[in-house]
Amino acid sequence: MASPPQPQQQTMQAQVPQQILPRPDPVMQAVIEADFRPVDLTLDSTNVAALCAVHSREKCDECDVDYTQLNRLSKVLAANPTLLCPPPPNVVNQKLSQIINQTKEEGNALFRTHQWEKAIGRYTQAAGFATQRAPWEAQQFMREELSTVLSNRSAAYFEHGELVSALTDAEAVIQLKKPWSKGHFRKAKALVALGYLPQAREAVQYGLQFDPTNVEMMGVLQDIELVLRSYADQPRPDNALSATGNAA
Amino acid sequence: MASVLVPVFYVLIVFGGLFLFGRFYRKSTANKRIDPYFPRHHERDTYVTLLQRTDPPASDALLKAALVRRAIADVQRILRLREDKQALQNLLQKGSVGDDLWNSLLAAEKELEAEIVEVHAEANSFVEGWGHVLFQTASEMLANEKTRVIVEQIPLERARNEAKFGKGLPGTTQAPPVAASAPSGPTTPKSSAATKSPSSLAPPAPSAGTDGVSSEGEASPRNRSAKKSKKRK
Repeated sequence: MASPPQPQQQTMQAQVPQQILPRPDPVMQAVIEADFRPVDLTLDSTNVAALCAVHSREKCDECDVDYTQLNRLSKVLAANPTLLCPPPPNVVNQKLSQIINQTKEEGNALFRTHQWEKAIGRYTQAAGFATQRAPWEAQQFMREELSTVLSNRSAAYFEHGELVSALTDAEAVIQLKKPWSKGHFRKAKALVALGYLPQAREAVQYGLQFDPTNVEMMGVLQDIELVLRSYADQPRPDNALSATGNAA
Repeated sequence: MASVLVPVFYVLIVFGGLFLFGRFYRKSTANKRIDPYFPRHHERDTYVTLLQRTDPPASDALLKAALVRRAIADVQRILRLREDKQALQNLLQKGSVGDDLWNSLLAAEKELEAEIVEVHAEANSFVEGWGHVLFQTASEMLANEKTRVIVEQIPLERARNEAKFGKGLPGTTQAPPVAASAPSGPTTPKSSAATKSPSSLAPPAPSAGTDGVSSEGEASPRNRSAKKSKKRK
């Protein structure tokens, strides 16, 4: 089953430094082979996709199998017979990058002319293109593109007034790129506009941990502090929930 | 009187007993079961099953895809093992866990190394020189999947946020949680926040119309991207 392995100088992962592969241990190989249990699967008519044997489905909860990603990759490889194997990660589809960039620039232009809805549509298109990138390309491209596009979309939603969508997009940007201050900034602005000032302050403080010298965020923080302090100082007369803090 | 053989027998019995005991003990510890650290390696089983299929034989594309999935699972295990090893070492030093878990981890590490060598060899059997690239590809694919999942979750998160924060459209009044901040009342923060916020909200547009337009605009590209993008495994 396994051809005699050749010990060579290899890199096992991008992050791991050069390591010499250890000589194959026949005992361990025997252990692996003994561990094998055949899987109950069948092939579809074109022999390109695997299905569960009992129900002939790609994703079957009863048999607890999920071949969707396997089959997707297999179909991609079968559709491009010139592609012998997934290429190394630095081979990037330049055309797709251009398209994404172009769509993003169109969205930016619309944003500048205050056409919020069209800008949102463009940004959504650009995000869709970015997710269609081949999965074996280096991850920072998809990540970069998505974070900029989503951040701009969050700004467009905010200007348009859909604050919850702006908040959601900002949170996604934070998940994609935690240290980036723009994501935290947009989240804080959305929360402030929604009226949830303590949460906004938390968000700003969390963002400032990553970038303590960011001027915009410090400005937002000061605004929030001002507002909160003004509530503490002046209990509004029309409001029973003043500084006493009796929640209904 | 006492024959010379008595001390000889004595020595033989003592050392013979020790020797036998040592042999049986070593045999029993060698056969002692080590609990596997990881659950079953489904991708490996799938790959080997596909390899062994002869009637009809699986296509090359499918085999390569199965090998890539196997490499991805291996990369996940490598990362997990690396994190766990450090943490387990600390716990072991403090005495919070027993030796069994540590032995399981060491055995899993050895098996993983052998597995990586095997995957490397299999990759080279398909395309010369692929083994070197395969693991890079696998780690990039893993990261890309994570990114894709984040983007796919956005509509779900939006629904959850809407439930939590209210619609957030212009013209609607918000009700921030009263318990969160004692001094703020239900309507006052909204009005002062609206005047305080640096960028003005857009004038109240007919919410149904704009919502319909933007959500339609999102729906079609999102459906397209949802079909193409990977689902969470």
